[in-house]
Amino acid sequence: MLEKIILLLCCSCAVAQHLCTPDASDGYKVRLSIKTALEGQAYEWNENEMFLFRATLAFAMRNHIREQKFEVSNIIVCNETPRVSFWFVVTSPESTSVLIGKEDVEEAVRKSRNRINSAFLLTDKTLEFIGILPTLAAPVDPDTPPWLIVFGVVMGIVGAGIILLLVSSVVQKKRKNEMTDDEENCEETRVKTVENGSVGEGVYNMSFSDDERFTQM
Amino acid sequence: MEKDARPSWDNPTQFVLACVSYAVGLGNVWRFPYLCQSHGGGGFLIPYLLMLVLEGVPLFYLELAIGQKMRSGSIRAWSNISPYLGGLGLASVVTSLYLCLYYNIINAWSFWYLFHSFQSVLPWSVCPINSNRTGPIEECEKASSTQYFFYRETLNISPTIEENGGIHMGQALCFVLAWLITYLFVVRGVKSTGKVVYFTATFPYVVLVIYLIRGITLHGAANGIKYMFTPKMEELANISTWINAATQIFFSLGLGFGSLVAFASYNQYNNNFERQAIIVSFINSGTSIFASIVTFAIYGFKATVNYENCLERTRVLLMNTFDLAEDSISMDNVFDWIEKLNATHPLQFAQIADKYDDCNLESELDTAVEGTGLAFIVYSEAIKNMPLSQLWSVLYFIMLLLLGMGSMLGNVTAIITPLRDFKMLSHMSNELFNGLVCLFCMLLGLGFTTPPGNYWFTMFNDYGATFSLLFIVLIEVITVSYIYGIRRFEKDIEDMIGHRPNWYWKTMWVVVSPVLLIALFIFYIINYTMGGTPTYQAWDKEL
Repeated sequence: MLEKIILLLCCSCAVAQHLCTPDASDGYKVRLSIKTALEGQAYEWNENEMFLFRATLAFAMRNHIREQKFEVSNIIVCNETPRVSFWFVVTSPESTSVLIGKEDVEEAVRKSRNRINSAFLLTDKTLEFIGILPTLAAPVDPDTPPWLIVFGVVMGIVGAGIILLLVSSVVQKKRKNEMTDDEENCEETRVKTVENGSVGEGVYNMSFSDDERFTQM
Repeated sequence: MEKDARPSWDNPTQFVLACVSYAVGLGNVWRFPYLCQSHGGGGFLIPYLLMLVLEGVPLFYLELAIGQKMRSGSIRAWSNISPYLGGLGLASVVTSLYLCLYYNIINAWSFWYLFHSFQSVLPWSVCPINSNRTGPIEECEKASSTQYFFYRETLNISPTIEENGGIHMGQALCFVLAWLITYLFVVRGVKSTGKVVYFTATFPYVVLVIYLIRGITLHGAANGIKYMFTPKMEELANISTWINAATQIFFSLGLGFGSLVAFASYNQYNNNFERQAIIVSFINSGTSIFASIVTFAIYGFKATVNYENCLERTRVLLMNTFDLAEDSISMDNVFDWIEKLNATHPLQFAQIADKYDDCNLESELDTAVEGTGLAFIVYSEAIKNMPLSQLWSVLYFIMLLLLGMGSMLGNVTAIITPLRDFKMLSHMSNELFNGLVCLFCMLLGLGFTTPPGNYWFTMFNDYGATFSLLFIVLIEVITVSYIYGIRRFEKDIEDMIGHRPNWYWKTMWVVVSPVLLIALFIFYIINYTMGGTPTYQAWDKEL
C-alpha cells in the first residue's frame, strides 16, 4: 500500500515536472528585479520567497475562478535562474495532469496584479510576467487644463494693463485740451505784455527749434 | 503753429538698453553655439571677433549715426541723403514687416511651453498613453517624448506644406497674447518702450547667470564644455567658417532692419553714440559667448544622461537575455561583458543584435542642433532630467520670452517710426496707429498657427530677410561712403559728438566693410543658384 502511494506521488511529481517546461504553451515566464527595486533593502530570493509566490498565484487563481479551490501544489515552477526568473504553469485542482489555459492565467494575474506586486514590495516594472502587459494607470484628465489657467491669469493682467494705459492717455488728452483752452485765454493777455516791452515770461516759439536746422532736400 | 517735439528717450541708458535688448535675441542663444561647435569650438572665436571688428561695429556705428543725425525713421532718413534712396528705407520697412509677421510665433511657442511648465509632471517628459492603455502612443515611442510634444502637441504638424488644417487654438491664443504684450510695450512709442527695456535687457542675464551656475554643477557638464572649447584649428582653413562668422555678426546685430535708425532718431542730438555703439556690439558678442558656455554645459549634461541611459538599457538587455544575476553586470563593465558574451554565446547574441544600440558619448555630443530644435527640444530634454525641473523650465522660457520680446520691440519700432514720418499718418494718435500695425501683423501671422505653419516659418526664417538685408546694408554703406561723401559724414559726426571719427572707422566704411559685404553677397548668390530646389525637413506621422 505504502509503495503504491509512494509510486503514485513520484509519478505525479514526474508528470508535474514534465508539464512545466520553458516555452510551455500554457506557461508564463516571470522575472523579478529585486535589487533594482529595493537596492539596499533587497531581500534574498530563496525557497520561502518562492513558496510565497506560489501561494500568491494560487490566491490569484482562486479569485478568478471562484468555483475551484487552487492549492500551492497546483502552481508548478521550473527553470529557475540566478537572474531570478522562472517559468510556471498552473494545474487544475481537479486533475493534476490538466493545465489551466493561458487566457485564464493571464486574466487572473491581471486582476490581482496589484496584490501580487505588493506581496513582494515590487512594481509592474520590476515583477514582470513576460507576455502579460500591465494595464497602465489612466491619465489624469482635469476639467480645465492647467495651462489655460495660467494663460488666463497672464492675459487678464496684460488686458488690464492695456486698458489702464489707454484710459489714462484719453484722460490726459482731455486734461491737455482743457489746459490749452486756458492757455489760449492767457496768451492774448501775454502777447499784450510783450508788446509793451517788459520781458516777463515768454512763450517758447517752436518755429525756431533745432529740429529744422537742416533744410529738407 | 506749435509742432510736437519729437519724443525722446528719458536718458541715454534707455537707448543703450533698447539697443542691447534688440540685438541680444534668440540668435545668440540658438545659432552661435551651433556655429561654434560645427566650426571648431574655441577656434571659431578668432574669425568671429575679427569680423566683429571689421564689419560689425563700423556698420552699427553707421546706422546709429544716420538715425541720430536725420532724426527720422529709415524712409525719410535715406531720402534726406539722396531723393533716389527712398526705396532703401522702404526696403527696410518691408523686411521688418516680414520679420514681425513670423517672429512672434516663436514667442507664442515660448508662452505655450511656459504655461505648460506649471504642472507636477512636465508634459514633455513622458509619452502619453494610448487609448488601449497598453503602452505609450506609437508616434511618441518612435521619436522621443520631447520631440512628440513639440511636433504633435505644440504644432500639430502636417506631413507636408501643402496639407492644411484649422488653426491650433492653443497656439492661436498664445500668439494673440504675444501680440497684446508687444502692443502694451509699444503703445506709447518710446515712452513705454524706454521703461520696458530696463527689464527686457537685464533680466535675461540674471537667468543666464543662474543657468550657468546650475549648468556647470550638473553631472557631465564638463564633458560638454571641454568638447566645445577644444579648438580645432584646421577648421579655420575652411572658407565657410569665415563666411558663417561674418553672417552671424551681421544678423546678430540686427543691421539693415531700420530698428537702429529708428531708435537713434529719438536721441538727443549730441548723444555720444560712438561709445554706445562699441559697448552694445561687444555686449552682444559677449552674450553669445556666455550663452554658448551655458548651452554646452547643458549639452554635456544631456549627452552624459543619454549615454548612461543607453548603458543601463544595454545592461538590462544582457541580464534578461542571458539570465545573469542582477549585480553581476554594472555600468562600468558592460562593454567587457558584451565581448565575453559575444564570444561564448554568439548565436544568442546575434538574436539581440538589433535591439542593442551602440552607446557612444562622442556621438551624443556630436548631435549639434540649432534653431527651434535646440531651444524647444534639446533644452527641454535637458531640463526634464534636472531636479526641480518645473522651476528651471519656467526660468528658461521666461528668458526666451524676454529675448524674443526685446527683439520684437525693435522690429515693431522699425515699422512704426518711418510710417509716422508721413504727414497723413502722423495725425493719428500714437495708440491707435500702433494698435492698427499690431492688429495687421497679428491677423496675417495667424497663418503660422496652422498645421503646416512650421514649414512656412522655416521658409520665412531662412529666406525672408537674409538676402535683402545684405543688399540693404551694402547700399547703405556705399551710399554713405561715396554718394553722401565720407567728408560730409565726418563733419556731421563732429557736429554731433564733438570729434571726427578716426582712421579706423573711415577705412572700415570706405573699404573693408563694402568689400566684405560684396563677398558675402556673391557667396549667397552662388550658394542659392547652385543649391538646386530648396528642400525642407518634414515630420511625417506615418513613418
